[in-house]
Amino acid sequence: MEQLGFFTILFSAVFTNNILLTNYLGMCSFLGCSREIKTALGLGTAVSFVTAATSILNWLVYAYILVPFDLVYLRFIVFIVVIAAFVQLVEMIIERVSEPLYNALGIFLPLITVNCAILGVSLFMVIRNYTFWQAFGYGLGAGLGWALAILAMAGIRQRLAQRSRIPRGLEGPGIALIIAGTMALAFMGFNGMVSLN
Amino acid sequence: MSDLLLAVGILCAINTGLALLLMLAEAVIVDTRDRSITINDTQIVTVPGGRPLLAALKDRKIFIPSACGGRGSCGLCKVTVIEGAGPLLATETPWLTAEEQKSGVRLSCQVKVRRDLRIRIPEELFAVKQYQAEVATLSDLTHDIKQVTLKLLDPPEITFTAGQFVQIEVPPYALTDEPIYRAYSVASDPCQPSQIELEIRYVPNGICTTYVHKHLKVGDRVTLNGPYGTFGLRPTGRELIFIAGGSGMAPIRAILLEMARTQNPRPCRYFFGARAKRDLFLVEEMRRIETELPSFRFIPALSAPDPDDRWEGETGLITEVVGRHVTNAAQAEAYLCGSPLMIDACIQVLREKGMPEENIFYDKFA
Amino acid sequence: MTAKRNWTVFKENLGTQNPVFVQVLGICSTLAVTNVLRNTLVMCLGLVFVTALSNLTLSLLRNRIPPRIRMMVEVLVIACMVILVDIYLKAFYPDISRQLGPYVGLIITNCIIMGHAEAVALTNPPLISFVDGLSAGIGYSYVLLVIACVRELLGTGAIWGLPLLGPNWTNWSVMVMAPGGFFVLAVFIWIIKGWVMRPARKAGA
Repeated sequence: MEQLGFFTILFSAVFTNNILLTNYLGMCSFLGCSREIKTALGLGTAVSFVTAATSILNWLVYAYILVPFDLVYLRFIVFIVVIAAFVQLVEMIIERVSEPLYNALGIFLPLITVNCAILGVSLFMVIRNYTFWQAFGYGLGAGLGWALAILAMAGIRQRLAQRSRIPRGLEGPGIALIIAGTMALAFMGFNGMVSLN
Repeated sequence: MSDLLLAVGILCAINTGLALLLMLAEAVIVDTRDRSITINDTQIVTVPGGRPLLAALKDRKIFIPSACGGRGSCGLCKVTVIEGAGPLLATETPWLTAEEQKSGVRLSCQVKVRRDLRIRIPEELFAVKQYQAEVATLSDLTHDIKQVTLKLLDPPEITFTAGQFVQIEVPPYALTDEPIYRAYSVASDPCQPSQIELEIRYVPNGICTTYVHKHLKVGDRVTLNGPYGTFGLRPTGRELIFIAGGSGMAPIRAILLEMARTQNPRPCRYFFGARAKRDLFLVEEMRRIETELPSFRFIPALSAPDPDDRWEGETGLITEVVGRHVTNAAQAEAYLCGSPLMIDACIQVLREKGMPEENIFYDKFA
Repeated sequence: MTAKRNWTVFKENLGTQNPVFVQVLGICSTLAVTNVLRNTLVMCLGLVFVTALSNLTLSLLRNRIPPRIRMMVEVLVIACMVILVDIYLKAFYPDISRQLGPYVGLIITNCIIMGHAEAVALTNPPLISFVDGLSAGIGYSYVLLVIACVRELLGTGAIWGLPLLGPNWTNWSVMVMAPGGFFVLAVFIWIIKGWVMRPARKAGA
């Protein structure tokens, strides 16, 4: 694999390898919190920030602790602990620094700890042997891609709620999955520009 | 062997380091200075900041009803915040109607005490006290419903209205590490203020019901607080329809005992739904109330009677039975108590029979 | 009595209480590998193992866990089970392990496992927790296996690599790509909710 630059990876993580639309990660919050644009925006921003930050943290822990001590198999536990601690810390800081920010983003943080997209980013980064900058690019891009997908979804669902008649069995998650599938089809149009696999 | 020790050591080091970091951060970052809460413009309490309002009030012996333990999943702990709460959170909106949002109603488990607050709570919550009681009797009403009589010790008497509920504190035992509270309707007549009766149905793995059914003995001490709730007879002259299922019997029974004692002349019917004969209880008592109140009829209905029951009364789902008996409900008033599913289905039937929504009162047992 | 209760728990987790139908939870980690049946089966076996054993372990520990760090202990126990699965696959099926990539590790964040640990394992004796975990895992697995069959069959004309649809079959390649997973799951939920579960909805009261 040739060395991809920071921006190439960032771009492809948002569009061609969208973590939600091609890897199905972060589905639970994606289906649960995509009814309103406002909520989706808050959650999307929080996820982008946390993925970017934890991808760096986990990269450092992996490269400087796990690999030298030959403890790579412990990566699942270590990554999840780092993510959980980081999220708690950020929640405290945000609450102290700015109340409006806490009300907009902070309340979503407890929901994020168990969001698989965040752990997924750290695991992909290890599997693909990214360098530090590549990992950061990928973490930021994956978070932004997730935010883009949930925002688009919330926009569509708000419209749907106003004016469409949905078959009863498809109400809620069913129709959301169909929308997500259609979005994934649209995003496939970006394929061929650049690929991470 | 040394590999094993190394792995465990590194893992412990990472975990301990992060735990220490978080504890340090909590000590440095979180603002725990005292804040004052003004309640109904009459009482001021001082609490440390940074905690949810619900917990802060509980520490000051003011009990806001809540069923989920402050996770924002029951929507019961509403209070009106006049100032100091900050904007509405996305975790609260699902529980609040548009009018409530306008008038400043908030979920007290989600609002954190960051500034001085002015709040308004229903006056009767000030009447809410914590009581020490003793289990006087325990008896089986059915195979899964127990009647518990609690004799009040301190304070020795409780004032409540028929239909209200109290919260029982379950001390830490096998199923719970911290004390938890669960709400149960009082089933006894408010004219006996020195003891209350509860009807508690066993739910497999329910923390409180397991405690009551498997651990509680006569003579045990129980802590409770209350009374709460606005469920109860409205003083209109309308015809009454009571509908209950299972342990939903409790508040209706309290209302009926009071009606019998005061010789209330309003025409009323009580539909009680159960699965089979073994789930019916207090039938003799209801028949006795029928003789004391000429205008009252008790109509038990079984949805799945056993062949051995030799049941000759009403059969079918409670909704079907109500549908058969009630023809025009436009002038009547209904009081429902039981599972959310049953209540929603009954509301639909009553609406079809012409009963206005504002005449239907219910107490959902979630 | 216990046997009967075990059986009830088992049945509910496969049918009316199946988390995939009821709340569409926990599909993240597994939906991605449902384009090939073999990988799905391996993934599902791993998931059943993790759910059953983490439930059992947490149930044995339930009276010893301090409430403050409850979540932490849950995550650690689940993560240990996942590591066991990961090491086993790496040692015996390295090619499958490579194909599954990060998804084995993502079993940790599967909300279903956490949910059952919280709701069942921390309040119930070991045996029933084990049965609950086992059946929750199986209930979840059979949905994904059905989805994998549909996707592989339509996408490649074969199941488990055995060509079934003959040489004239045109592959619907979209099925083995990302959108296919969304569509097949949506249709599956539609069928279940629209036809199979409708009678259950009427039986209120």
